Amino acid sequence: MEGVEEANKNDFKSSQSVSLQQWSQWQLFDSILPTGGFAHSLGLEAAMQARLVVSPEDLKTYVIHLLDNTGSLLLPFVYTATISPDTQTWHKLDRLLNAMLTNEIGRKASTAQGSALMRVSASVFSEIPCLKTMRNAALSSGAVFFHHAPVFGLVCGLLGFDAETTQRAYVFVTMRDVISAATRLNLVGPLGAAVLQHQVAPIAESLSTKWMNRDAGEACQTCPLLDTVQGCHGYLFSRLFCS
Amino acid sequence: MDRGKLVVERIGGKSTLTRCLSKYPFKFINPNKVGPSQTDAVWIYTITYGGGIVSGDSIAFDVTVGDGCTAVLTTQSSTKVYKSIGSKCSKQMLEASVGRDALLVVIPDPVTCFSTAKYSQLQIFKVVPESSLLVVDWITSGRHESGEKWAFSHYKSTNRILLEGDEPVFLDTILLEQGSHISISDRLQDYQAIAMIVLLGPKLRLIQNQIQEDVKKLMYQQLRVPSISSGRSTESDSNKHCLPKPSFVASCSTFGPKGIGVVVRVASMTTESVYNFLQHQLATMEALLGASPYR
Repeated sequence: MEGVEEANKNDFKSSQSVSLQQWSQWQLFDSILPTGGFAHSLGLEAAMQARLVVSPEDLKTYVIHLLDNTGSLLLPFVYTATISPDTQTWHKLDRLLNAMLTNEIGRKASTAQGSALMRVSASVFSEIPCLKTMRNAALSSGAVFFHHAPVFGLVCGLLGFDAETTQRAYVFVTMRDVISAATRLNLVGPLGAAVLQHQVAPIAESLSTKWMNRDAGEACQTCPLLDTVQGCHGYLFSRLFCS
Repeated sequence: MDRGKLVVERIGGKSTLTRCLSKYPFKFINPNKVGPSQTDAVWIYTITYGGGIVSGDSIAFDVTVGDGCTAVLTTQSSTKVYKSIGSKCSKQMLEASVGRDALLVVIPDPVTCFSTAKYSQLQIFKVVPESSLLVVDWITSGRHESGEKWAFSHYKSTNRILLEGDEPVFLDTILLEQGSHISISDRLQDYQAIAMIVLLGPKLRLIQNQIQEDVKKLMYQQLRVPSISSGRSTESDSNKHCLPKPSFVASCSTFGPKGIGVVVRVASMTTESVYNFLQHQLATMEALLGASPYR
């Protein structure tokens, strides 16, 4: 009798922790998490001022190209960080990505968002004390850039999320942020944005599947035009976003 | 696999080509009279037999530029990559070491991949803090006069700059592959040539500053805040109010510790505009090299 009770208790505990994990997941992927993502347009503002994106159709194309580039360049970093969420791996990925983000605008946006995500995660997920210790050690050393993709992978890995969910989520938050920027740039209305997001979802899924589970050394960029235009953000006379 | 080799060393106070080994399907030509005799620079042209790279060809060579030397690697004409036969990929690999107070300049004509071609390129540059490096890496859409625009299957170009052996300073890989949702032509829209120019080190400081200034001025004039009505309008409306896309787009970024490097990215609707840009921006290199690049 006791053995069965014990087993039932364990089953309940593990299903409870899985449910709790859902709450952490939803909070981490929610746009309301204060990581400053709203300040970045992921190159969309520059693309609009260069007339590469003029209509909602152009926007859909832009989003798809952006997600393809996110997959090819950043998903390998999210993957490697999430399967090995330890200090050594994190620092190595951070340095490597710093050399790969050759676009200054994109590189600065990455460190700004990564720093904010690390700070918020260390405060919010207090049940994982090593988040705080890793953050403090990195700040004291002054040698860590806090790039976004490795931090995202690290936090998800430490929270126990599986690699596939984490990578898919990274593509999701990218899509969410660029579409949100599009509404603030008056390119599409809030309802149109929601419709677009759902239309792009199957493509986002196939891009996530295509680029997931690769080693960071394989990272590459697939949209040089996007990269060139995003680099122009610093030349905009009047701008709403940081990048 | 046997690799070609080029070694430039200081002999009698002058940069001298002391080793020059090429292997089929490529050849090196080292003309003596590229610039005035007072200029200290060795020019090497890489030539392919038949004027192009055939499916499955592999070109690999190492370059050593000794302390205080200047070497220029260039081509006679654009590198044509012919169609892939049996899914074979053509490759070019270069590994270079640049010494103290040395300058390596890599200024090829663009790569042009023909329909269904598959091409992969890897360039590794090992430098020290006092090295200078200029690399131009660029590609055109194909035989666009014949209507071949971004019709190749696969293009991958990797450039790596490593400081003091192993510290990665600049790592870039561009991959252009026909995809199920997105063709290469979709990605590049009306642009027919894309280029990357990397400038690193003390000898290029002035050009780095000038190029950043010039690109900023150029793009500043091209970028416009869209008017409120142009967003969310119907297609006929936006055609009426919209300025055309800029035919030449460029941006600069610094990279590396203390911003020692500058990378310029270019997308252009014509190959000629890129040649003009390169010629104009690199004109002052004539003093160091004896001749102006892309004349």
